[in-house]
Amino acid sequence: MNLFPKNRAFLAEIGNLARFTARFFREAFRPRYEISELIRQCFIIGYKSLSLVGLTAFIMGLVLTMQLRPSMVHYGVEAKIPAMVCIAIIREIGPVITALIFAGKIGSSIGAELGSMRVTEQIDAMEVSGTNPFKYLVVTRTLAATLMLPVLVVLADAISLYGSYLGVNIYSVLSLRLFIAQVIENLAYYDAIPAFVKTFFFGFAVGIVGCFKGYYSTKGTEGVGRSANSAVVMASVVIFILDLLAVQVTELIWDY
Amino acid sequence: MAKRTIDNLKLGIFVLTALALLILFLYMLGRNQSIFSKRFEIKAHFENVGGLIAGNNVRVSGIVVGIVEEVALVNDTLVVVTIALDDEMRTVLRKNALASIGTDGLIGNRVVNLLPVREPAPLIEPGDIIQAQKDVSTEEMLRTLDQTNKNVLVISRGLIETIGRINKSSQLAALLDDESLSQNLGAALANLRRATGQADATMQDLHAVVVGVRNGEGSVGALLRDTSFAYELNQTVRKLQTVEDQADLLAQDMRTLVQGVESDLRRGQGPVRLLLTDSLAAARVQRTLGNLEEGTARFSEDMEALKHNFLFRRYFRKLEKQKKKAGGE
Repeated sequence: MNLFPKNRAFLAEIGNLARFTARFFREAFRPRYEISELIRQCFIIGYKSLSLVGLTAFIMGLVLTMQLRPSMVHYGVEAKIPAMVCIAIIREIGPVITALIFAGKIGSSIGAELGSMRVTEQIDAMEVSGTNPFKYLVVTRTLAATLMLPVLVVLADAISLYGSYLGVNIYSVLSLRLFIAQVIENLAYYDAIPAFVKTFFFGFAVGIVGCFKGYYSTKGTEGVGRSANSAVVMASVVIFILDLLAVQVTELIWDY
Repeated sequence: MAKRTIDNLKLGIFVLTALALLILFLYMLGRNQSIFSKRFEIKAHFENVGGLIAGNNVRVSGIVVGIVEEVALVNDTLVVVTIALDDEMRTVLRKNALASIGTDGLIGNRVVNLLPVREPAPLIEPGDIIQAQKDVSTEEMLRTLDQTNKNVLVISRGLIETIGRINKSSQLAALLDDESLSQNLGAALANLRRATGQADATMQDLHAVVVGVRNGEGSVGALLRDTSFAYELNQTVRKLQTVEDQADLLAQDMRTLVQGVESDLRRGQGPVRLLLTDSLAAARVQRTLGNLEEGTARFSEDMEALKHNFLFRRYFRKLEKQKKKAGGE
């Protein structure tokens, strides 16, 4: 029964997260919207992540193509490389890899930022001064993350497919037009739309977990590092759980 | 504040770029699935659609012009496939086009091929039903192959039996095991060779004879080469012909004679008719013959008596002696 206290702590954490999420929705829909702060957070969270996400996406597309190539050549379906790569990128790799990078960069920064604010008692000071710290800090960041990750994923998919196009052209010659035609031919709405929709949930998960960990940071400066770290780990796990749920829900709704 | 504006501008560009990309992507996907173009529906009747599902492409002459909307099993032998075709096909396709199920590549998706028939027909209209062309499906091929396999099995079984019988056959084994066979064969071949040699010699002799004959040597040669002989032969043949002609004439005369006799007979005239038809005459002739026989017997008796008569005895004795003498010599 040594495990029991740990389990209880884990369950308590889940419960607190659920409560935190409920509070987010309560606060988010009540008036006094912090629009300018939201836009500032969008800029920081979205735009500033583009270079990192773009680089990883490009490398991902290129490497995936090069890694798949020997097997595809072995089975004599070299011509199907664009089809295979585009399905992999659009349906799974684009959203998930981008979300993980996003969690690493944004989840940790939110966790550390809010954690240090909590530890240095800035959040308490906000409360005293009449500003709703939850609205100003948590809602804006979570919303920004929710809205920016899909944007990043769309751009990352495009960059990734371009990387894949270059990967194909390392070994053989394929016009960009034919590549795009093959990608479009092998994709349908039921590939693109669920993949796009799930990125909102990924973004929301990264934002809410980061805020939760930072908002309830304890134990001084040591706690800040821990909240940043656990924010990334938990956000990543939640992303994978959501991905699993997304594919099942998609199967249910879209009976293809 | 100026920095805030520039940041917002960058954010705007960032979001708009992604939005534009997303819209473009979704539009291209939609155009590929022809969601935005005008369409009309036709139906095709199949017996077997071989795994066709809604969403598969429809082709005319290898160009994708629509998609399968619905595959419905109406009864146990009829599948109705609803096909949505691009509007421009209304001026291209005709009512008598045939539909067939094909495959995109060797292992690709199923497609419906619409095959134009080179016969006049009105243009296709929405709601038309087109007929299916029966295609060789993989299953049918496999079924035929299965039959072939069974046949091969029967054949191979027969072969096994035959080979078993060959193996079991003591005669054949004896034939194969017999060592003297090869010797005999060798001897037979030697004989054959000798016979051939002899035949060759004979042929050479014959050749020599033929050459001799051709040159007019020997009696045959003379016969064949002598021109006077040929002439005589000719004459003989000609004479034979005249003889034949005369024989012919004779035969004609005979025939007229026989005809005369025959007509006589028919008409009841002449002695022959009397002889042949008159039973009284026949009896008389018989009696005459009987009398003649009797007469002859009597004469023989008289002659015997005469032999013993003293007047003639000497003559007969002399005759007897002469006969003996001739026999003794």
